[in-house]
Amino acid sequence: MKIKKFIPFFLMGALVSCNSQNFVESKVFCFDSVVDFKLYNATNQDKKAVEDILKYYDKISDNYDSKSGVVNLTNINTTNEEIEISEKLYKMLKSSFEVSKLGADFFNPLCGSLVKKWKDSLGEGKVLNEEVINSELDKINNSELKFLDNNKVQRIGEAELDLGGIAKGYVLDEIYNYLKEKNITNYLVDAGSSSILVGEKSSGDGYYSVGIKNTIIQNKYFKVKNAFVSTSALNEQGVLIGDKMYSHIINPKTGSAINLQEAVIVISDKGYIGDALSTSMMMNTLEEIKAIEAIQNIKCIVINNNSITYHHPSIEVNDR
Amino acid sequence: MKDKKLRNDIILVASLLLIAVVALVVILSTRKKDNLIAKVYVQNEVVETIDLSTKEEKEYVIVGLHGNVIVETKDGAIRVKESNCPHQDCVHMGYVSETNRPIICAYNAVYIVIEGASDVDVEIG
Repeated sequence: MKIKKFIPFFLMGALVSCNSQNFVESKVFCFDSVVDFKLYNATNQDKKAVEDILKYYDKISDNYDSKSGVVNLTNINTTNEEIEISEKLYKMLKSSFEVSKLGADFFNPLCGSLVKKWKDSLGEGKVLNEEVINSELDKINNSELKFLDNNKVQRIGEAELDLGGIAKGYVLDEIYNYLKEKNITNYLVDAGSSSILVGEKSSGDGYYSVGIKNTIIQNKYFKVKNAFVSTSALNEQGVLIGDKMYSHIINPKTGSAINLQEAVIVISDKGYIGDALSTSMMMNTLEEIKAIEAIQNIKCIVINNNSITYHHPSIEVNDR
Repeated sequence: MKDKKLRNDIILVASLLLIAVVALVVILSTRKKDNLIAKVYVQNEVVETIDLSTKEEKEYVIVGLHGNVIVETKDGAIRVKESNCPHQDCVHMGYVSETNRPIICAYNAVYIVIEGASDVDVEIG
């Protein structure tokens, strides 16, 4: 009988404990985006560590401004001399050049100057001049980055480096490594909606629901856990000139800013590979995308004409 | 014996009522979060928190890294009306009223994030 009296209090205790969740969260402005993260069963020290990772990689991968205290892409882009960089930037650059061997045929970290020129031109509502495109392609084809001993690199030629296509994915890989080391398993890191890292959700079936933020397809979602989700899309940064949609994603082989796909979402187990592939796949045909998907152990969703034209058979895309 | 049973029943009913009240408070406070709130950040610090549910038409002057950014709210949406940034990407975004679609003025280190209820955990695109 006495136990019966306490049942309501046990229930209340359970209600209160269900409602209190031990998590830390933060928003960091970096990579020209807002990176929003939430870590469960983590400490403020973990929060600061993740913030520091984001801020550091933002500094070293900046190709517009040099930063005090670190050597970054801007410094490499302004010299043809040998230059010593941090081990982290050295590894990041190496990964960016190796990723083209993993199916990202249309990803080239040397197209920085071409991308900047397209961005300026599209900002003025104009298509980039053919002569400028050809001159930039010459620069890319006659340039390289030499990887020397002791974390030194040397830029040969005039082409500029740009890690925009992999930077967010790469930093998510670094965050993932940190979280794994600290045995943190429940987390969501949203790097500006184009690159996302999810662990296991602390409630329900453990899966995070990911909405597809296409301007038209706002009524679809899929579920995922313990994965990186990367996307490239025309919807927000595309510029319509005449009857053609021009993209911020530039084909490094032809110099064209016209993409074959409207949006590509890649679910992978490596952030930088997912990022590079989603960028590169914007210029692949659907058949090529399926072939890369099969080889690289990734899962893709392809959007065209405002609808999902393909998704990997194991991904269930549902209505919201 | 009967009195004791009655007392226990009263305690049980009172406790259940208390649980119901607590649950109601939790539900109502959660419902309040459905209102869209715009947070304006400068260099990672919140400088303005705006309740968009009032649908008020109002201008805010945000002191950015390289100059003032004029932010305007109207009909439950928010936009950057004026900025001295070179590309004007933030101005061209126009009015935004959805979560997970931040307005970013990188030049001035100003960003605006709308927070509120969503039927998904995160959005991509």
